[in-house]
Amino acid sequence: MAVDEVLGDSFEEKQHQAAYVFDPLDEADGANRPAKRRKVSKAPNQQGAEEPDSWLTFQPLFGGSENEQCVRLRQQLFEKSWSQIDKRIQHILRKANESTLGDVASFLQATPDRASTDKIPSAFIITGPNLASQDLLFEQFSETLQIQVDAKVVRLRSGDASNLKAALKKIIHDVTARETDDENDQELAMGKDGRKYLNYDLEALYAHFKTKPRSHIIIAFQDSEAFESGLLSDLISLFSSWLNRIPFALLFGVATSVELFQARLLKSTCQCLYGDQFDVEQSSSIIEKIFKAAIAFSDAPLRLGSSLVNSLLERQRDQVSSIPVFVSSLKYAYMCHFYANPLTVFLSDDKKDDILQEEHFEAIRCLPSFRRYVETAIEKGEIEQARSLLDDNSQLREFLHDGIEGSRRWSLDILRKLKVLTVGGVLSTDFSEIYLDAISRGIDTDRIAEFTDSVKRLQPTDLTVFLNQVLDNLDNGDPSLGLDSWANENKDSHAFFTKALSTTKALQADAETKGNSLRSKYNGQTKVLRTTVIAQKVQLSHDTATLTREDSLYTELIDDLVRHLKETLHCDSAKDLCMNEIWLFDSKAPYKDVFIPRPRGVVERALSRPHDYLNCSCCETKGDQIVPGLPPVAILYQLYLETGSLINVADLWSAYYAIVGEENEEALEEQAALVLFYRGLAEMRAMGFVKQSRKKADHVAKLAWKGL
Amino acid sequence: MNEMDSIFELPDDLLATLIESFPCRDAQIRALATLLYPRAAPCRNLIIHGTEATGKTAITTGLLEALQSATDDGPPLKYAIVKSAECVTARHLFERTVGSVVDALEWEGTASVGRCETLAALTVELTRMLKENVEQEQENNSRRFVLVFDGIDRQREAPPTLLPALARLSEIIPNLTTVFILTTPTPSLLRVSSTPQLYFPPYTKTDFIAILSRPPYAPPPLPNTTPQETVDLWTRYAAAVHDALAKPASRSLPGLSRACAALWPRFTAPVAAGTHRAREFSKLLVAARAYFQDEGVLEPGIVLSGHSRDANTNGSVFAAASTTNGSNGHAPAKKGREETKATKDLATLLPPTARLLLVAAYLASHNAPRHDQTLFSTWHTGRRRRGGGGGGATGAIRASKRTKHRKIARKLLGPSAFVLERMVAIYAATRREWDSDGGEEGVVGVGVDGDVGMAISTLASLRLLVRVGGTGGGDTMDRGGKWRVGVGWEVIRGVGRSMGVEVEEWLIE
Repeated sequence: MAVDEVLGDSFEEKQHQAAYVFDPLDEADGANRPAKRRKVSKAPNQQGAEEPDSWLTFQPLFGGSENEQCVRLRQQLFEKSWSQIDKRIQHILRKANESTLGDVASFLQATPDRASTDKIPSAFIITGPNLASQDLLFEQFSETLQIQVDAKVVRLRSGDASNLKAALKKIIHDVTARETDDENDQELAMGKDGRKYLNYDLEALYAHFKTKPRSHIIIAFQDSEAFESGLLSDLISLFSSWLNRIPFALLFGVATSVELFQARLLKSTCQCLYGDQFDVEQSSSIIEKIFKAAIAFSDAPLRLGSSLVNSLLERQRDQVSSIPVFVSSLKYAYMCHFYANPLTVFLSDDKKDDILQEEHFEAIRCLPSFRRYVETAIEKGEIEQARSLLDDNSQLREFLHDGIEGSRRWSLDILRKLKVLTVGGVLSTDFSEIYLDAISRGIDTDRIAEFTDSVKRLQPTDLTVFLNQVLDNLDNGDPSLGLDSWANENKDSHAFFTKALSTTKALQADAETKGNSLRSKYNGQTKVLRTTVIAQKVQLSHDTATLTREDSLYTELIDDLVRHLKETLHCDSAKDLCMNEIWLFDSKAPYKDVFIPRPRGVVERALSRPHDYLNCSCCETKGDQIVPGLPPVAILYQLYLETGSLINVADLWSAYYAIVGEENEEALEEQAALVLFYRGLAEMRAMGFVKQSRKKADHVAKLAWKGL
Repeated sequence: MNEMDSIFELPDDLLATLIESFPCRDAQIRALATLLYPRAAPCRNLIIHGTEATGKTAITTGLLEALQSATDDGPPLKYAIVKSAECVTARHLFERTVGSVVDALEWEGTASVGRCETLAALTVELTRMLKENVEQEQENNSRRFVLVFDGIDRQREAPPTLLPALARLSEIIPNLTTVFILTTPTPSLLRVSSTPQLYFPPYTKTDFIAILSRPPYAPPPLPNTTPQETVDLWTRYAAAVHDALAKPASRSLPGLSRACAALWPRFTAPVAAGTHRAREFSKLLVAARAYFQDEGVLEPGIVLSGHSRDANTNGSVFAAASTTNGSNGHAPAKKGREETKATKDLATLLPPTARLLLVAAYLASHNAPRHDQTLFSTWHTGRRRRGGGGGGATGAIRASKRTKHRKIARKLLGPSAFVLERMVAIYAATRREWDSDGGEEGVVGVGVDGDVGMAISTLASLRLLVRVGGTGGGDTMDRGGKWRVGVGWEVIRGVGRSMGVEVEEWLIE
């Protein structure tokens, strides 16, 4: 523990260096090191700033000269904005499981008397392989079932229950201890008549149950597949023999399928179970919801860029499909932005101008988007304005506030336009894709053209549906994106769509009274393919069917609509906006380093090119050349790469000695070289590269191949 | 005559009610009563044996309860039953024994009841309680205590001396009868001479029918029939089910009653529909022939709806199959169905990386390591040579040579263990070729990073990858560990096809 603290402290100082060099001599002056400063406790309710040091975990930027208020403000901003998002995400996750919870509860309520059937009611919850998100699900189970069906739920994970005794111990402990909390533990070990029970004796549970009857004792196996099948069978047969006294019920979280699960149980065990299977909501649809609530949400203070989010989504699809990982990746992205970008203080709503430092303005003037803006201003001849922005801090501040306001307007704007674009599934791609596209490229003419083309081809009935939905969006907004109604702000559009809707309906009615079906010239069937046979040759000719008066009016209406959409839908991309660096985060690197570590790759690189990490002159090499100055283990690693799967240690030693030995100018003595060689080989073994081989004497087996 | 009565008598009225509630077991009940009743011929140790579901436990419990409750007019008898199935360890068994004896005697010296870790301690405890109890009630020397060990042969963590030691209890403690209920006794089980044994034979066909015609099993009257007709039909039907299913597949009463209950609605559906009358048994039998050829109903299904659905589809399959070739055709059909189901689930369920790893694990398990170079190396040709097609003349010759001594296809053999590093190497070698998305990214995308480790541990936790031996050897990230693939060929083929890979091409026979 003490060692950990020492290390932790020195890590803190050195965590921004490329490599941590372990130097045992540091220990000597470790005695007068400062007291451990950091005690990370991120309790969200600890908003009061009485003990600033105790929760301030962000570091001052600008090379350490950023003042503390700004640092604190950034951290506050991060915590506040993330807590809002987190609340929405938790809400979604909890809602997603609700129907499953209800189903299971009603299944358990409907169970017939156990004594008559002699079978344990069991619910199989098909969760899919995202084992991590099951925790929340089962937590909800234990909350809901406790209330709804008067049950006591015990959650078992495969890690808790390595053998029968341990599993029973946990079950009994959880059932008896949880509600009576602490002191009564002693009582529970003793029955009412003072009898002591073994801690894996279900009779203790029975004794407890008699004093506090419940209608179900539910044992939930969170990751049933990971349990040993013999253990499961034992447990189930034990439960079924107690079934006439204790009303057991079982919950199984099944990752694959009930059939595969059943195949692993004994048949006699299967006879003790009867149950039903329940599905949970697919993680992809939950991800889509979380996407809307966390990334695309209108209030989100930070826009995440498309390349980052795309890589997140892709990883989700390819690798893990686990929702908690997705959420923590988002949180990490937020944290990175507020941690590393000093300009995020400007995102604060209350304008504390007095805490700003000269460095802030300098940093703004260095932003690429700001430079572009100034350059275009100069090109346009607005030299006065450009100069004032460059010279006058107060001007810059005004400009900055406008820019932030503008960004908020822009994000609202783009969401509203996207709502129109995604109406009625006219475009086949899903919302997240269109959104990310719009963030990176804006809503450009290609996208609009694609959209209007499909709008053009809509049948009149579909068009009314489309217009109705557009109007509905305008009137009601979209709570899942945090959009309020924007009909008032956009009266022209609203009026236009209303008019188009009523006209369409009127035209449709007119056409119907005349016995025609309404169509525009863009509808497919207006083109008639004619085949004429002239002189034994077939001629194909397109003919436009004649349009009635209603049809041509309808065509005009569609043209108007398309024009209107083309005018209103255009939107810039985020990167075109000035000072997008403050509110746009689109960097993959820190995320990848943290969430997808490559320990093997790093170790291999350190061994094959130690200079990358040590940065000392002695081990500077060109290519894969071996120089004697390299650390012994690095030399050994180079030699190791050239060997086969069995390594003769004597050969390795002679090869090593040939490199570091007498022929070189900084020659080592044989004894010293041998010591280094042994140490290097021991290190290789500790890192898992070689192990003792039983096949041949004096040989070691090669375990690791490069590049894996 | 009178004297005889006082020495040997059986409580006949008690036995009569017991025989009434357990039909076809009167011989056993009488024998058991003789061996337990204090005024008959009580014995010291008794072995009751027989296969499962032959009424051993139920009859013993019923008889002892009846005898105990009849102590008002007869000699006192008390008993305790210890179920080994509920005892996790031997110590658990001992403590449970002491506990139930305490309960049976209504013993007050609670302070003394505590730990009981060994057989010796058990002996001491029991001796103390039972002997004292006897001494207290000196006046009646004929009282007995019966201690029943139910299923003692299935006791978990039993020490080898358990049974002989328990058999000695009755030598130390007077008036104690120890009853062992077992499945099959071995000759030297208790290491004491001449223990009486009571055998509960399996029920015969007539027994089964007699039992099934009684209340808990007999069905409610059918529509369109009189109750008597229903009873007649049920009897004949039960006989038919017994001949068709119970005889070859399941001899136990619960199995038969379950099968009867499961088939009854389908069997009598024509009666309910009015197409046949209840008396036309042979017509009904012919109509329901398919069900009697299907042993699927005997298999326990753990999912309610799934089970009935399965049974339905199975039934229809067999209806079709039975017309062509009787009983031979259905086993493969069913197997195929189950596996395709599982395959589909797995292929859609797992993320792509996990699927690639699973296939790599299968290849590592089923190809010999010496073929790896041929399969995966791009050294000479620039493209990999695959096993199935396209082998040159030499390949064909070698293949034919090899088939001579290996008759069984490799994929039909069990998976062999491989080193994790090899599987990861196969994954890295095949990924670029198989993963259609990753292809464009080239070498950079092939890295083995934390996500691959996560996928491996996911597969391990689903037991699709199984760690072999060396449980002490580190965690899943230890590349030196030995592993084996946990799924079969059918599943892998499905998973491979879901990615557009024919796994067969990558296997060398």
